[in-house]
Amino acid sequence: MTAAAELIGVTQRFGSFTAVDAVDLAVPPGKLTTLLGPSGCGKTTTLRMIAGYSAPTSGTIRIDGIDSTRTPPEKRNLGMVFQSYALFPHMTVADNVGYGLKLRKVPAAERRARVMETLELVGLAHLAGRKPKKLSGGQQQRVALARAIAIRPRLLLLDEPLSNLDARLRVQMRTEIRRIQAETELTVILVTHDQDEALEMSDEMVIMNEGRIVQQGAPQQVFPRPADRFVAEFLGYENFLTAADGTPLTIRPEHLRLAEQAPGLPATVADVAFRGVDLLVSLDVVDPSGATVRLLADVRGGTAPAPGSSVTVVTPDDHLVRLPR
Amino acid sequence: MKRPVTAALAVVGYLIMIVPIVFVVATAFTAGSTLRFPPDGFSLRWFGEAFAYEPFVEATISSVQLAVLAAALALLIGVPATLAIHRGRIPGKGLVEGLFLSPLIVPELVVGLALFQQLMVGLDLDNFTALLVGHTALMLPYAVRVTGASLALADPALEEAARGLGASPLRAFVNVTLPVLRPGIFSAGLLSVVTSFNNVPLSLLLQGRDFRTLPVTMLDYVQQSYDPMVAAASTLILAATVVIAVIAERTVGFAKIFGGISR
Repeated sequence: MTAAAELIGVTQRFGSFTAVDAVDLAVPPGKLTTLLGPSGCGKTTTLRMIAGYSAPTSGTIRIDGIDSTRTPPEKRNLGMVFQSYALFPHMTVADNVGYGLKLRKVPAAERRARVMETLELVGLAHLAGRKPKKLSGGQQQRVALARAIAIRPRLLLLDEPLSNLDARLRVQMRTEIRRIQAETELTVILVTHDQDEALEMSDEMVIMNEGRIVQQGAPQQVFPRPADRFVAEFLGYENFLTAADGTPLTIRPEHLRLAEQAPGLPATVADVAFRGVDLLVSLDVVDPSGATVRLLADVRGGTAPAPGSSVTVVTPDDHLVRLPR
Repeated sequence: MKRPVTAALAVVGYLIMIVPIVFVVATAFTAGSTLRFPPDGFSLRWFGEAFAYEPFVEATISSVQLAVLAAALALLIGVPATLAIHRGRIPGKGLVEGLFLSPLIVPELVVGLALFQQLMVGLDLDNFTALLVGHTALMLPYAVRVTGASLALADPALEEAARGLGASPLRAFVNVTLPVLRPGIFSAGLLSVVTSFNNVPLSLLLQGRDFRTLPVTMLDYVQQSYDPMVAAASTLILAATVVIAVIAERTVGFAKIFGGISR
Protein backbone atom coordinates (compact mmCIF):
# COMPACT_ATOMS: atom_id res chain seq x y z
CA MET A 1 0.00 0.00 0.00
CA THR A 2 1.49 3.33 -1.06
CA ALA A 3 1.32 6.10 1.47
CA ALA A 4 -0.99 8.97 0.50
CA ALA A 5 1.79 11.32 1.49
CA GLU A 6 5.35 10.48 2.36
CA LEU A 7 8.06 12.65 3.85
CA ILE A 8 11.63 11.45 3.60
CA GLY A 9 14.28 13.26 5.63
CA VAL A 10 12.40 16.54 5.35
CA THR A 11 14.09 19.52 6.99
CA GLN A 12 12.95 23.11 7.05
CA ARG A 13 15.25 25.84 8.31
CA PHE A 14 14.36 29.50 8.74
CA GLY A 15 17.71 31.21 9.17
CA SER A 16 19.42 29.47 12.07
CA PHE A 17 16.11 28.05 13.39
CA THR A 18 15.31 24.48 12.43
CA ALA A 19 11.52 24.25 12.34
CA VAL A 20 11.36 20.70 11.01
CA ASP A 21 14.31 18.39 11.53
CA ALA A 22 14.82 15.36 9.25
CA VAL A 23 11.24 14.14 9.50
CA ASP A 24 10.26 10.77 8.03
CA LEU A 25 6.52 10.22 7.85
CA ALA A 26 4.13 8.00 5.92
CA VAL A 27 0.50 9.07 5.94
CA PRO A 28 -1.84 6.10 5.46
CA PRO A 29 -4.47 6.53 2.72
CA GLY A 30 -8.15 6.89 3.62
CA LYS A 31 -7.37 7.61 7.27
CA LEU A 32 -7.37 10.64 9.50
CA THR A 33 -3.87 11.43 10.69
CA THR A 34 -3.22 14.18 13.21
CA LEU A 35 -0.01 16.10 13.72
CA LEU A 36 -0.06 16.92 17.41
CA GLY A 37 2.28 19.07 19.43
CA PRO A 38 2.78 22.35 21.27
CA SER A 39 3.14 25.59 19.30
CA GLY A 40 6.49 25.80 17.57
CA CYS A 41 6.91 22.02 17.32
CA GLY A 42 6.91 22.15 13.50
CA LYS A 43 3.48 20.65 12.85
CA THR A 44 2.09 23.58 10.84
CA THR A 45 5.36 23.96 8.93
CA THR A 46 5.14 20.26 8.05
CA LEU A 47 1.57 20.69 6.80
CA ARG A 48 2.53 23.77 4.76
CA MET A 49 5.33 21.81 3.10
CA ILE A 50 2.92 19.01 2.21
CA ALA A 51 0.55 21.66 0.79
CA GLY A 52 3.37 23.27 -1.19
CA TYR A 53 3.29 26.69 0.48
CA SER A 54 6.85 26.34 1.60
CA ALA A 55 9.62 24.25 0.09
CA PRO A 56 11.72 22.11 2.41
CA THR A 57 15.39 23.04 2.86
CA SER A 58 16.18 19.40 2.16
CA GLY A 59 14.38 16.09 1.84
CA THR A 60 11.67 14.66 -0.40
CA ILE A 61 7.88 14.89 -0.27
CA ARG A 62 5.90 12.31 -2.22
CA ILE A 63 2.17 12.54 -2.77
CA ASP A 64 0.55 9.32 -4.03
CA GLY A 65 4.05 8.05 -4.64
CA ILE A 66 5.02 10.94 -6.93
CA ASP A 67 7.85 13.28 -5.95
CA SER A 68 6.12 16.62 -5.38
CA THR A 69 8.83 18.36 -3.37
CA ARG A 70 9.01 21.36 -5.74
CA THR A 71 5.50 21.22 -7.19
CA PRO A 72 3.64 24.53 -6.68
CA PRO A 73 0.44 24.30 -4.61
CA GLU A 74 -1.86 24.88 -7.60
CA LYS A 75 -0.56 21.71 -9.24
CA ARG A 76 -0.96 19.43 -6.20
CA ASN A 77 -4.74 19.11 -6.08
CA LEU A 78 -4.93 19.20 -2.30
CA GLY A 79 -7.73 20.66 -0.20
CA MET A 80 -6.57 22.97 2.55
CA VAL A 81 -8.60 24.46 5.40
CA PHE A 82 -6.81 27.38 7.01
CA GLN A 83 -6.99 28.35 10.65
CA SER A 84 -8.49 31.70 9.60
CA TYR A 85 -10.72 29.86 7.05
CA ALA A 86 -9.53 32.36 4.38
CA LEU A 87 -12.92 32.55 2.70
CA PHE A 88 -13.00 34.96 -0.24
CA PRO A 89 -14.99 37.88 1.23
CA HIS A 90 -16.25 39.21 -2.12
CA MET A 91 -17.73 35.87 -3.21
CA THR A 92 -20.87 34.11 -2.05
CA VAL A 93 -20.71 30.79 -0.23
CA ALA A 94 -21.52 28.98 -3.50
CA ASP A 95 -18.85 30.91 -5.43
CA ASN A 96 -16.29 30.15 -2.74
CA VAL A 97 -17.07 26.44 -2.90
CA GLY A 98 -17.19 26.51 -6.71
CA TYR A 99 -13.97 28.46 -7.21
CA GLY A 100 -11.74 25.41 -7.52
CA LEU A 101 -14.17 23.79 -9.96
CA LYS A 102 -14.30 26.95 -12.05
CA LEU A 103 -10.50 26.87 -12.32
CA ARG A 104 -10.79 23.24 -13.43
CA LYS A 105 -13.20 24.39 -16.15
CA VAL A 106 -16.03 22.22 -14.88
CA PRO A 107 -19.15 23.19 -16.92
CA ALA A 108 -21.53 25.55 -15.07
CA ALA A 109 -24.39 23.06 -14.64
CA GLU A 110 -22.17 20.34 -13.26
CA ARG A 111 -20.38 22.88 -11.12
CA ARG A 112 -23.65 24.04 -9.53
CA ALA A 113 -24.65 20.46 -8.84
CA ARG A 114 -21.34 19.64 -7.22
CA VAL A 115 -21.35 22.83 -5.17
CA MET A 116 -24.80 22.05 -3.81
CA GLU A 117 -23.89 18.43 -3.18
CA THR A 118 -20.83 19.52 -1.19
CA LEU A 119 -22.79 22.15 0.72
CA GLU A 120 -25.34 19.51 1.61
CA LEU A 121 -22.55 17.31 2.93
CA VAL A 122 -21.60 20.06 5.39
CA GLY A 123 -25.23 21.01 6.04
CA LEU A 124 -25.13 24.50 4.52
CA ALA A 125 -27.10 24.18 1.27
CA HIS A 126 -29.58 26.81 2.51
CA LEU A 127 -26.84 29.45 2.83
CA ALA A 128 -25.40 29.13 -0.69
CA GLY A 129 -26.23 32.73 -1.62
CA ARG A 130 -24.80 34.41 1.46
CA LYS A 131 -21.53 36.28 1.77
CA PRO A 132 -19.05 34.77 4.26
CA LYS A 133 -19.24 37.86 6.50
CA LYS A 134 -22.90 37.05 7.23
CA LEU A 135 -22.08 33.60 8.62
CA SER A 136 -21.18 32.46 12.12
CA GLY A 137 -17.72 31.10 12.86
CA GLY A 138 -18.96 27.52 12.74
CA GLN A 139 -20.69 28.08 9.41
CA GLN A 140 -17.60 29.73 7.93
CA GLN A 141 -15.62 26.72 9.04
CA ARG A 142 -18.01 24.41 7.18
CA VAL A 143 -17.77 26.56 4.04
CA ALA A 144 -13.98 26.32 4.21
CA LEU A 145 -14.31 22.54 4.50
CA ALA A 146 -16.76 22.37 1.60
CA ARG A 147 -14.48 24.52 -0.57
CA ALA A 148 -11.56 22.20 0.11
CA ILE A 149 -13.60 19.04 -0.49
CA ALA A 150 -15.38 20.23 -3.65
CA ILE A 151 -12.27 19.82 -5.81
CA ARG A 152 -12.10 16.14 -4.79
CA PRO A 153 -8.58 16.58 -3.45
CA ARG A 154 -6.00 13.83 -3.07
CA LEU A 155 -5.48 14.95 0.51
CA LEU A 156 -7.53 17.11 2.83
CA LEU A 157 -5.27 19.26 5.00
CA LEU A 158 -6.71 20.94 8.08
CA ASP A 159 -4.62 23.52 9.93
CA GLU A 160 -6.00 23.89 13.49
CA PRO A 161 -9.51 23.96 11.98
CA LEU A 162 -11.35 24.03 15.30
CA SER A 163 -9.22 26.43 17.32
CA ASN A 164 -11.33 29.50 16.50
CA LEU A 165 -14.61 27.91 17.57
CA ASP A 166 -16.13 28.03 21.03
CA ALA A 167 -15.75 25.00 23.27
CA ARG A 168 -19.12 23.34 22.60
CA LEU A 169 -19.02 23.79 18.83
CA ARG A 170 -15.46 22.52 18.80
CA VAL A 171 -16.51 19.22 20.31
CA GLN A 172 -19.46 18.94 17.88
CA MET A 173 -17.22 19.61 14.88
CA ARG A 174 -14.87 16.78 15.88
CA THR A 175 -17.61 14.26 15.19
CA GLU A 176 -18.70 16.22 12.13
CA ILE A 177 -15.24 16.14 10.54
CA ARG A 178 -15.00 12.40 11.31
CA ARG A 179 -18.35 11.86 9.62
CA ILE A 180 -17.31 13.85 6.53
CA GLN A 181 -14.02 11.95 6.40
CA ALA A 182 -15.86 8.63 6.56
CA GLU A 183 -18.39 9.65 3.88
CA THR A 184 -15.80 11.02 1.46
CA GLU A 185 -13.14 8.41 2.29
CA LEU A 186 -10.59 11.18 1.98
CA THR A 187 -7.11 11.01 3.44
CA VAL A 188 -7.07 13.74 6.06
CA ILE A 189 -4.11 15.35 7.79
CA LEU A 190 -5.15 17.51 10.73
CA VAL A 191 -2.86 19.78 12.70
CA THR A 192 -3.77 20.44 16.32
CA HIS A 193 -2.26 21.31 19.68
CA ASP A 194 -5.23 19.77 21.53
CA GLN A 195 -4.52 16.23 22.72
CA ASP A 196 -8.20 15.47 23.37
CA GLU A 197 -9.01 16.45 19.80
CA ALA A 198 -6.21 14.25 18.49
CA LEU A 199 -7.17 11.27 20.65
CA GLU A 200 -10.82 11.50 19.70
CA MET A 201 -10.41 12.10 15.98
CA SER A 202 -7.28 10.25 14.86
CA ASP A 203 -6.84 6.93 13.20
CA GLU A 204 -3.15 7.68 13.44
CA MET A 205 -1.55 10.30 15.63
CA VAL A 206 1.89 11.80 15.11
CA ILE A 207 3.30 13.66 18.10
CA MET A 208 5.94 16.26 17.34
CA ASN A 209 8.36 18.18 19.51
CA GLU A 210 11.12 20.60 18.50
CA GLY A 211 10.81 19.74 14.83
CA ARG A 212 10.96 15.97 15.27
CA ILE A 213 8.41 13.19 15.44
CA VAL A 214 8.60 11.76 18.95
CA GLN A 215 5.86 9.13 18.73
CA GLN A 216 3.46 7.79 16.15
CA GLY A 217 0.64 5.27 16.23
CA ALA A 218 -3.06 4.73 16.83
CA PRO A 219 -4.41 6.64 19.86
CA GLN A 220 -5.13 3.29 21.53
CA GLN A 221 -1.44 2.43 21.27
CA VAL A 222 0.03 5.84 22.03
CA PHE A 223 -2.10 6.88 24.98
CA PRO A 224 -1.27 4.01 27.37
CA ARG A 225 2.38 3.84 26.30
CA PRO A 226 3.95 7.32 25.98
CA ALA A 227 7.41 6.99 24.49
CA ASP A 228 9.11 9.59 26.65
CA ARG A 229 8.56 12.17 29.35
CA PHE A 230 7.55 14.88 26.85
CA VAL A 231 4.77 12.76 25.34
CA ALA A 232 3.68 11.62 28.80
CA GLU A 233 3.38 15.21 30.07
CA PHE A 234 1.65 16.27 26.88
CA LEU A 235 -0.93 13.51 27.24
CA GLY A 236 -1.70 14.37 30.86
CA TYR A 237 0.55 12.00 32.77
CA GLU A 238 1.25 14.16 35.79
CA ASN A 239 3.11 11.77 38.08
CA PHE A 240 6.79 11.01 37.63
CA LEU A 241 8.75 8.77 39.96
CA THR A 242 11.83 6.59 39.85
CA ALA A 243 12.08 2.81 40.22
CA ALA A 244 14.55 1.14 42.57
CA ASP A 245 16.89 0.47 39.60
CA GLY A 246 16.75 4.13 38.55
CA THR A 247 14.26 3.74 35.66
CA PRO A 248 11.94 6.78 35.32
CA LEU A 249 8.29 5.85 35.68
CA THR A 250 5.04 7.65 35.05
CA ILE A 251 1.41 7.01 35.96
CA ARG A 252 -1.82 8.93 35.40
CA PRO A 253 -3.56 10.54 38.42
CA GLU A 254 -6.67 8.40 37.88
CA HIS A 255 -4.62 5.21 38.18
CA LEU A 256 -3.17 5.93 41.62
CA ARG A 257 -5.08 4.28 44.47
CA LEU A 258 -5.04 5.16 48.13
CA ALA A 259 -4.92 2.34 50.67
CA GLU A 260 -4.85 2.02 54.44
CA GLN A 261 -1.69 -0.04 54.64
CA ALA A 262 1.13 -1.72 52.71
CA PRO A 263 1.87 -3.03 50.14
CA GLY A 264 2.43 0.36 48.54
CA LEU A 265 4.41 3.55 48.87
CA PRO A 266 4.27 5.52 52.12
CA ALA A 267 2.82 8.99 51.60
CA THR A 268 1.59 12.09 53.40
CA VAL A 269 -1.53 13.93 52.18
CA ALA A 270 -0.52 17.50 51.28
CA ASP A 271 -3.81 18.84 49.96
CA VAL A 272 -7.28 17.75 48.91
CA ALA A 273 -9.30 19.57 46.26
CA PHE A 274 -12.98 18.81 45.71
CA ARG A 275 -13.80 18.86 41.99
CA GLY A 276 -17.40 17.70 41.84
CA VAL A 277 -17.10 14.28 40.26
CA ASP A 278 -13.79 13.50 41.92
CA LEU A 279 -11.20 14.54 44.49
CA LEU A 280 -7.72 15.64 43.53
CA VAL A 281 -5.37 14.57 46.26
CA SER A 282 -1.82 15.94 46.37
CA LEU A 283 0.58 13.56 48.04
CA ASP A 284 4.19 13.63 49.15
CA VAL A 285 5.28 10.11 48.29
CA VAL A 286 8.52 8.29 49.04
CA ASP A 287 9.16 6.51 45.70
CA PRO A 288 11.01 3.17 45.30
CA SER A 289 14.34 4.97 44.82
CA GLY A 290 13.91 6.64 48.21
CA ALA A 291 13.23 10.15 46.91
CA THR A 292 10.21 12.15 48.04
CA VAL A 293 8.06 13.26 45.08
CA ARG A 294 4.81 15.19 44.79
CA LEU A 295 2.14 13.02 43.10
CA LEU A 296 -1.49 13.71 42.22
CA ALA A 297 -4.22 11.14 42.74
CA ASP A 298 -7.62 11.46 41.10
CA VAL A 299 -9.92 9.72 43.56
CA ARG A 300 -13.56 8.86 42.87
CA GLY A 301 -15.84 7.77 45.69
CA GLY A 302 -14.77 7.05 49.24
CA THR A 303 -14.09 9.55 51.96
CA ALA A 304 -11.61 12.38 51.60
CA PRO A 305 -8.34 11.80 53.45
CA ALA A 306 -7.42 14.58 55.85
CA PRO A 307 -4.45 16.78 54.92
CA GLY A 308 -1.43 15.79 56.98
CA SER A 309 -2.56 12.20 57.43
CA SER A 310 -0.40 9.24 56.41
CA VAL A 311 -1.64 6.95 53.64
CA THR A 312 -0.32 4.25 51.37
CA VAL A 313 -0.24 4.87 47.60
CA VAL A 314 -0.73 1.91 45.27
CA THR A 315 0.73 2.14 41.74
CA PRO A 316 -0.80 -0.76 39.77
CA ASP A 317 1.90 -2.40 37.61
CA ASP A 318 -0.23 -2.52 34.47
CA HIS A 319 -0.65 1.30 34.56
CA LEU A 320 2.93 2.13 35.44
CA VAL A 321 4.78 3.22 32.29
CA ARG A 322 8.54 2.88 32.07
CA LEU A 323 10.21 5.79 30.31
CA PRO A 324 13.67 5.88 28.70
CA ARG A 325 16.37 7.20 31.04
CA MET B 1 -18.24 63.06 26.64
CA LYS B 2 -15.87 61.94 29.36
CA ARG B 3 -13.28 64.66 28.92
CA PRO B 4 -14.90 68.13 28.86
CA VAL B 5 -11.69 69.98 27.93
CA THR B 6 -11.11 67.78 24.89
CA ALA B 7 -14.73 68.18 23.89
CA ALA B 8 -14.57 71.97 24.23
CA LEU B 9 -11.38 72.12 22.16
CA ALA B 10 -12.99 69.98 19.49
CA VAL B 11 -15.99 72.30 19.33
CA VAL B 12 -13.73 75.37 19.05
CA GLY B 13 -11.71 73.64 16.36
CA TYR B 14 -14.78 72.79 14.32
CA LEU B 15 -16.12 76.35 14.72
CA ILE B 16 -12.85 77.84 13.48
CA MET B 17 -12.99 75.60 10.42
CA ILE B 18 -16.68 75.80 9.69
CA VAL B 19 -17.69 79.41 10.39
CA PRO B 20 -15.67 80.96 7.53
CA ILE B 21 -17.15 78.35 5.19
CA VAL B 22 -20.64 79.28 6.34
CA PHE B 23 -19.90 82.92 5.46
CA VAL B 24 -18.70 81.98 1.98
CA VAL B 25 -21.71 79.76 1.30
CA ALA B 26 -24.11 82.39 2.62
CA THR B 27 -22.64 85.19 0.48
CA ALA B 28 -22.83 82.96 -2.59
CA PHE B 29 -26.61 83.16 -2.45
CA THR B 30 -26.73 86.96 -2.26
CA ALA B 31 -28.87 88.99 -4.61
CA GLY B 32 -26.52 91.97 -4.27
CA SER B 33 -23.31 92.58 -6.18
CA THR B 34 -20.65 92.68 -3.46
CA LEU B 35 -19.16 90.04 -1.21
CA ARG B 36 -20.78 91.08 2.04
CA PHE B 37 -22.21 89.41 5.10
CA PRO B 38 -25.08 89.29 5.83
CA PRO B 39 -26.03 88.84 2.15
CA ASP B 40 -28.50 91.22 0.49
CA GLY B 41 -31.48 88.95 -0.14
CA PHE B 42 -31.44 85.50 -1.76
CA SER B 43 -30.84 84.53 -5.36
CA LEU B 44 -29.05 81.96 -7.48
CA ARG B 45 -27.83 84.78 -9.74
CA TRP B 46 -24.11 84.33 -9.04
CA PHE B 47 -24.23 80.60 -9.63
CA GLY B 48 -25.59 81.40 -13.10
CA GLU B 49 -22.81 83.94 -13.61
CA ALA B 50 -20.16 81.44 -12.50
CA PHE B 51 -21.45 78.87 -14.99
CA ALA B 52 -21.44 81.46 -17.73
CA TYR B 53 -17.94 82.77 -17.02
CA GLU B 54 -15.80 81.07 -19.59
CA PRO B 55 -12.42 81.14 -17.77
CA PHE B 56 -14.03 79.31 -14.83
CA VAL B 57 -15.67 76.70 -17.04
CA GLU B 58 -12.48 76.10 -18.99
CA ALA B 59 -10.40 75.94 -15.82
CA THR B 60 -12.86 73.48 -14.27
CA ILE B 61 -12.51 71.17 -17.24
CA SER B 62 -8.71 71.52 -17.05
CA SER B 63 -8.70 70.85 -13.31
CA VAL B 64 -10.85 67.74 -13.67
CA GLN B 65 -8.68 66.43 -16.50
CA LEU B 66 -5.54 67.01 -14.49
CA ALA B 67 -7.00 65.51 -11.31
CA VAL B 68 -8.30 62.36 -12.99
CA LEU B 69 -5.11 61.80 -14.99
CA ALA B 70 -2.85 62.44 -12.01
CA ALA B 71 -4.91 60.16 -9.76
CA ALA B 72 -4.89 57.39 -12.38
CA LEU B 73 -1.14 57.70 -12.83
CA ALA B 74 -0.56 57.74 -9.08
CA LEU B 75 -2.56 54.53 -8.69
CA LEU B 76 -0.82 52.90 -11.67
CA ILE B 77 2.55 53.61 -10.07
CA GLY B 78 1.61 53.45 -6.40
CA VAL B 79 -0.40 50.22 -6.26
CA PRO B 80 2.18 47.94 -7.89
CA ALA B 81 4.94 49.70 -5.93
CA THR B 82 3.12 48.97 -2.67
CA LEU B 83 2.61 45.35 -3.63
CA ALA B 84 6.31 45.09 -4.34
CA ILE B 85 7.16 46.76 -1.03
CA HIS B 86 4.87 44.52 1.01
CA ARG B 87 5.05 41.22 -0.80
CA GLY B 88 8.19 41.31 -2.90
CA ARG B 89 11.77 40.58 -1.99
CA ILE B 90 13.36 43.92 -2.68
CA PRO B 91 16.21 45.37 -0.67
CA GLY B 92 15.67 48.58 1.30
CA LYS B 93 11.90 48.34 1.49
CA GLY B 94 11.70 51.01 4.17
CA LEU B 95 13.71 53.42 2.05
CA VAL B 96 11.51 52.83 -1.00
CA GLU B 97 8.34 53.33 1.01
CA GLY B 98 9.78 56.48 2.56
CA LEU B 99 10.54 57.79 -0.92
CA PHE B 100 6.94 57.26 -1.99
CA LEU B 101 5.64 58.98 1.13
CA SER B 102 8.09 61.89 0.99
CA PRO B 103 5.75 64.23 -0.95
CA LEU B 104 3.79 64.45 2.29
CA ILE B 105 6.78 66.03 4.02
CA VAL B 106 8.56 68.10 1.36
CA PRO B 107 6.89 71.52 1.11
CA GLU B 108 4.85 71.76 -2.07
CA LEU B 109 6.39 75.12 -2.92
CA VAL B 110 9.80 73.46 -3.00
CA VAL B 111 8.48 70.62 -5.19
CA GLY B 112 6.81 73.19 -7.43
CA LEU B 113 9.92 75.30 -7.78
CA ALA B 114 12.06 72.23 -8.50
CA LEU B 115 9.65 71.01 -11.19
CA PHE B 116 9.50 74.52 -12.66
CA GLN B 117 13.28 74.73 -12.91
CA GLN B 118 13.86 71.21 -14.18
CA LEU B 119 10.88 70.52 -16.42
CA MET B 120 9.65 73.86 -17.69
CA VAL B 121 12.89 75.83 -17.80
CA GLY B 122 15.38 72.99 -18.11
CA LEU B 123 13.55 70.61 -20.47
CA ASP B 124 11.22 73.21 -21.94
CA LEU B 125 8.13 71.07 -21.30
CA ASP B 126 4.70 72.66 -21.28
CA ASN B 127 3.10 73.47 -17.94
CA PHE B 128 0.49 70.71 -18.25
CA THR B 129 3.20 68.03 -18.22
CA ALA B 130 4.89 69.69 -15.27
CA LEU B 131 1.58 69.92 -13.41
CA LEU B 132 0.81 66.29 -14.18
CA VAL B 133 4.19 65.17 -12.83
CA GLY B 134 3.81 67.35 -9.73
CA HIS B 135 0.25 66.30 -8.96
CA THR B 136 1.02 62.63 -9.55
CA ALA B 137 3.90 62.83 -7.07
CA LEU B 138 1.58 64.53 -4.61
CA MET B 139 -1.02 61.75 -4.93
CA LEU B 140 1.46 58.89 -4.56
CA PRO B 141 1.40 58.84 -0.74
CA TYR B 142 -2.36 58.26 -0.83
CA ALA B 143 -2.08 55.37 -3.26
CA VAL B 144 0.75 53.80 -1.27
CA ARG B 145 -0.86 54.32 2.11
CA VAL B 146 -4.32 53.10 1.23
CA THR B 147 -3.10 50.08 -0.70
CA GLY B 148 -0.69 49.29 2.10
CA ALA B 149 -3.42 49.54 4.71
CA SER B 150 -5.80 47.33 2.71
CA LEU B 151 -3.02 44.85 2.10
CA ALA B 152 -2.09 44.74 5.78
CA LEU B 153 -5.72 44.05 6.66
CA ALA B 154 -6.10 41.33 4.03
CA ASP B 155 -5.53 37.77 5.25
CA PRO B 156 -2.36 36.44 3.57
CA ALA B 157 -4.01 33.01 3.59
CA LEU B 158 -6.55 34.25 1.01
CA GLU B 159 -4.06 34.12 -1.82
CA GLU B 160 -2.70 30.80 -0.55
CA ALA B 161 -6.23 29.41 -0.47
CA ALA B 162 -6.72 30.41 -4.10
CA ARG B 163 -3.38 28.81 -5.05
CA GLY B 164 -4.36 25.62 -3.25
CA LEU B 165 -7.59 25.47 -5.21
CA GLY B 166 -5.64 25.58 -8.46
CA ALA B 167 -4.99 29.24 -9.26
CA SER B 168 -1.65 30.39 -10.66
CA PRO B 169 -0.02 33.23 -8.70
CA LEU B 170 -1.28 35.79 -11.24
CA ARG B 171 -4.77 34.30 -11.25
CA ALA B 172 -4.91 34.28 -7.45
CA PHE B 173 -3.88 37.93 -7.43
CA VAL B 174 -6.49 38.95 -10.01
CA ASN B 175 -9.32 36.84 -8.56
CA VAL B 176 -8.74 37.34 -4.87
CA THR B 177 -6.20 39.97 -3.81
CA LEU B 178 -7.26 42.67 -6.26
CA PRO B 179 -11.00 42.48 -5.39
CA VAL B 180 -10.10 42.67 -1.71
CA LEU B 181 -8.00 45.79 -2.37
CA ARG B 182 -10.52 47.36 -4.78
CA PRO B 183 -12.48 49.49 -2.26
CA GLY B 184 -9.22 50.89 -0.92
CA ILE B 185 -7.89 51.66 -4.38
CA PHE B 186 -11.20 53.25 -5.35
CA SER B 187 -11.24 55.55 -2.36
CA ALA B 188 -7.57 56.43 -2.76
CA GLY B 189 -8.45 57.46 -6.30
CA LEU B 190 -11.31 59.65 -5.13
CA LEU B 191 -9.22 61.33 -2.47
CA SER B 192 -6.42 61.90 -4.96
CA VAL B 193 -8.84 63.58 -7.36
CA VAL B 194 -10.11 65.87 -4.61
CA THR B 195 -6.61 66.73 -3.39
CA SER B 196 -5.38 67.44 -6.88
CA PHE B 197 -8.46 69.48 -7.77
CA ASN B 198 -8.06 71.69 -4.71
CA ASN B 199 -4.29 72.09 -4.91
CA VAL B 200 -2.97 75.67 -5.00
CA PRO B 201 0.79 75.83 -4.26
CA LEU B 202 1.94 73.50 -7.06
CA SER B 203 -0.56 74.82 -9.56
CA LEU B 204 0.42 78.39 -8.76
CA LEU B 205 4.11 77.81 -9.38
CA LEU B 206 3.52 75.78 -12.53
CA GLN B 207 0.82 77.94 -14.08
CA GLY B 208 0.99 78.79 -17.72
CA ARG B 209 -1.05 80.58 -20.34
CA ASP B 210 -2.51 77.50 -22.05
CA PHE B 211 -3.41 75.38 -19.08
CA ARG B 212 -4.81 76.87 -15.88
CA THR B 213 -6.44 75.07 -12.99
CA LEU B 214 -9.58 76.36 -11.32
CA PRO B 215 -8.10 77.44 -7.96
CA VAL B 216 -5.45 79.52 -9.73
CA THR B 217 -8.03 81.07 -12.05
CA MET B 218 -10.18 81.95 -9.05
CA LEU B 219 -7.22 83.53 -7.27
CA ASP B 220 -6.54 85.67 -10.35
CA TYR B 221 -10.20 86.65 -10.48
CA VAL B 222 -10.32 87.70 -6.83
CA GLN B 223 -7.31 89.96 -7.35
CA GLN B 224 -9.23 91.95 -9.94
CA SER B 225 -12.86 91.88 -8.93
CA TYR B 226 -14.50 91.22 -5.65
CA ASP B 227 -17.98 89.98 -6.49
CA PRO B 228 -19.97 86.97 -5.16
CA MET B 229 -19.27 84.85 -8.23
CA VAL B 230 -16.14 83.49 -6.54
CA ALA B 231 -18.20 82.55 -3.48
CA ALA B 232 -20.67 80.74 -5.73
CA ALA B 233 -17.87 78.82 -7.46
CA SER B 234 -16.34 77.95 -4.08
CA THR B 235 -19.68 76.68 -2.84
CA LEU B 236 -19.99 74.40 -5.87
CA ILE B 237 -16.49 73.01 -5.32
CA LEU B 238 -17.28 72.50 -1.65
CA ALA B 239 -20.45 70.58 -2.46
CA ALA B 240 -18.66 68.33 -4.94
CA THR B 241 -15.83 67.69 -2.46
CA VAL B 242 -18.26 66.74 0.29
CA VAL B 243 -20.06 64.28 -1.98
CA ILE B 244 -16.79 62.61 -2.99
CA ALA B 245 -15.55 62.51 0.60
CA VAL B 246 -18.77 60.85 1.74
CA ILE B 247 -18.41 58.20 -0.99
CA ALA B 248 -14.81 57.56 0.08
CA GLU B 249 -15.82 57.32 3.72
CA ARG B 250 -18.65 54.92 2.90
CA THR B 251 -16.46 52.62 0.82
CA VAL B 252 -13.37 52.40 3.02
CA GLY B 253 -13.45 54.82 5.92
CA PHE B 254 -11.00 57.60 6.65
CA ALA B 255 -9.73 55.83 9.73
CA LYS B 256 -8.24 53.15 7.50
CA ILE B 257 -6.87 55.64 4.99
CA PHE B 258 -5.22 57.96 7.47
CA GLY B 259 -4.72 55.48 10.29
CA GLY B 260 -1.27 54.62 9.01
CA ILE B 261 -0.05 58.18 8.85
CA SER B 262 -0.66 59.17 12.45
CA ARG B 263 0.94 56.02 13.77
